[in-house]
Amino acid sequence: MSSPRGILGAALALLAALACATISAAHEGDPLAEPDFIPPAPGTYTLHRIMAAPDGQVLGIDGRAQPLSRYTRGQITLLGFIYTTCTDPQGCPLAYRVFDALKEAITATPSLRGKVRFVTLSFDPARDTPDVMLQYAGSRVSEEVGGLHWYFLTTHSARELMPLVDGFGQDINITFDRSGGFPRRELSHVLKVFLIDRTGDIREIYTSTFLYPRLVLNDIQTLLMEEDPKGNHAPARN
Amino acid sequence: MDHKRAICTIAALVMGCIGFTVAVRADETCNSPYMAKLIKGQEDYVYVWTLGVQGLGDGSDKLVTVDVNPQSKSYGKVIHSVSTGARAEAHHMGFTDDRRYIWAGGLSENRIWVFDIATDPANPKLVRTITDLGDKSGFLGPHTYYALPGRMLVQALSNTKDKGGATGMVLYNNKGQQLDSYAMPAEGGGYGYDLAVNPKKNVLLTSSFTGYVNYMRPLGELINDGEAMKNFGSTMVLWDLKAIKPTKVLAVPGAPLEIRWSLNSEDNWAITATALTSKLWLVKQDAKGEWNAKEVGTIGDPSKIPLPVDISITRDGKGLWVNTFMDGKTRYFDLSNPEAPKQTYEKVTGKQVNMISQSWDGKRVYITSSLLANWDKGGADNEQFLRGFAWDGKELAQKFEVDFTKEKLGRAHHMKLGSAALRSSVAGG
Repeated sequence: MSSPRGILGAALALLAALACATISAAHEGDPLAEPDFIPPAPGTYTLHRIMAAPDGQVLGIDGRAQPLSRYTRGQITLLGFIYTTCTDPQGCPLAYRVFDALKEAITATPSLRGKVRFVTLSFDPARDTPDVMLQYAGSRVSEEVGGLHWYFLTTHSARELMPLVDGFGQDINITFDRSGGFPRRELSHVLKVFLIDRTGDIREIYTSTFLYPRLVLNDIQTLLMEEDPKGNHAPARN
Repeated sequence: MDHKRAICTIAALVMGCIGFTVAVRADETCNSPYMAKLIKGQEDYVYVWTLGVQGLGDGSDKLVTVDVNPQSKSYGKVIHSVSTGARAEAHHMGFTDDRRYIWAGGLSENRIWVFDIATDPANPKLVRTITDLGDKSGFLGPHTYYALPGRMLVQALSNTKDKGGATGMVLYNNKGQQLDSYAMPAEGGGYGYDLAVNPKKNVLLTSSFTGYVNYMRPLGELINDGEAMKNFGSTMVLWDLKAIKPTKVLAVPGAPLEIRWSLNSEDNWAITATALTSKLWLVKQDAKGEWNAKEVGTIGDPSKIPLPVDISITRDGKGLWVNTFMDGKTRYFDLSNPEAPKQTYEKVTGKQVNMISQSWDGKRVYITSSLLANWDKGGADNEQFLRGFAWDGKELAQKFEVDFTKEKLGRAHHMKLGSAALRSSVAGG
């Protein structure tokens, strides 16, 4: 930790941790909204195979490189892009809260246990090192919580990130805020969360408008019913 | 065919169940709610999807970029055009949800051209042509391009079998791969025209027009064919957006065209204009949660068939621009009470006007001229232009004009706004 990169990483990790703490405090008490409509019941609609999830090298919080497909196949996957300094209430913090609510619902539903994983992938490799992602994840990164793994990933560089961002169709815009006397890089994006089936196909894309735990759970159950039409997929509690 | 005579004949023939125009969705306030990067400041460009005219320039449909930033040296000038090499009744276009691409199509065939506007926003590049719409879905004449997350929902106007008005919607992913198709409900004739989404209510709303055999015929022929004139839409359809399944068919006589949902977060209503009957209709949920349509206003003198062809709603849902093709007028309606719109302004903005787009702040208004190749006026009345206006809440003041005939471009139709700041980028590391 004595190299310049290590010191910078530690500083970034500290800043990220502080940012996360601020975000959590700001939103923990606000209940998530419910949809203002009655959604169609699981299994009564089609989730199209929108496209295959892209693959590429990612870094886990231990710094080891792995193909992203290791985290997007074999189980139903809910994947969201974030950057740790994001403070838009309708952006990364909202996704985080929805993931938290879903984790609670999924772990409390026996028919869903062991069938779903979460992936949080940074699109800011310059700032979000594995150490920063570890800090960002906090207690959520434990090996397995009630049958649900939650992976926090980043990439080495924009060169490795770009094919993933493009492949998912996750837009991102970079601007420089010069109001403080020196240019400060800011990222902006439209929140998207991707539901990926066991074979690695993207089956739904949620923006903030449709990112309700109830709708995501319905879609997860729809995928399970598609895999096993006679199976017992009791509605999850949420 | 003299257009005044034509309109009188139409009035005598129909009044009630037909309409005969194709208009457009256009501006920032009318984009899909799923679309990223709305331009809320000064736009730099207006992209104009332009119909080719035989003998004029290369004669092909093309995407034209006009510089509309008053600070620019080339303000009000054409700075780029990219030709498709085909003439296919260019009509509408739509952004993908990431605003990196424009999908644009023609009504006379089933090709969709995809333009990259992110790499160099001033100079769009044709990067893909989608050709499987008709072969896979059986529909014809892609009209509306509506962005959903990672997907594009395309509303067609006709079908490949008999080229009549029974049609449907086609769902693509952003890479141009067809995922599914959906026939319009048979009730009401299966017509389609525009579509627009209210995600808050999980509602997709569609409107209705007519098929290829009508919209591709010369206007003079069509209006003298009484049987053909019966084949126009008179319904709107509510769909469950998530499932893309129809839930209710609403009677809206007179060919309801463009659909605009209020962007005010407190509102849950949409408004449309009927082409033939010249009425404004409101689609709204009642206290019991039931969706209903009702006539709420009149545009000009319906007996003269002013022919409303495009509408543009303000970002607060309190105002509505309406263009009427025949009299060349641009009207403004106060929508403070959407149950009773009140016209507060009108101005002749051209000898024939069709599309109208406004900037997010409502201070700039853009108007184009062309309806359909075979339905535009003739002779000196066949003006083809993009005109830019300033709106101060009281008066439309013209700021520039691009003469699309003089520039050898074609018939100016649908518009989308662009910005130099919207180059694609990715996080650096």
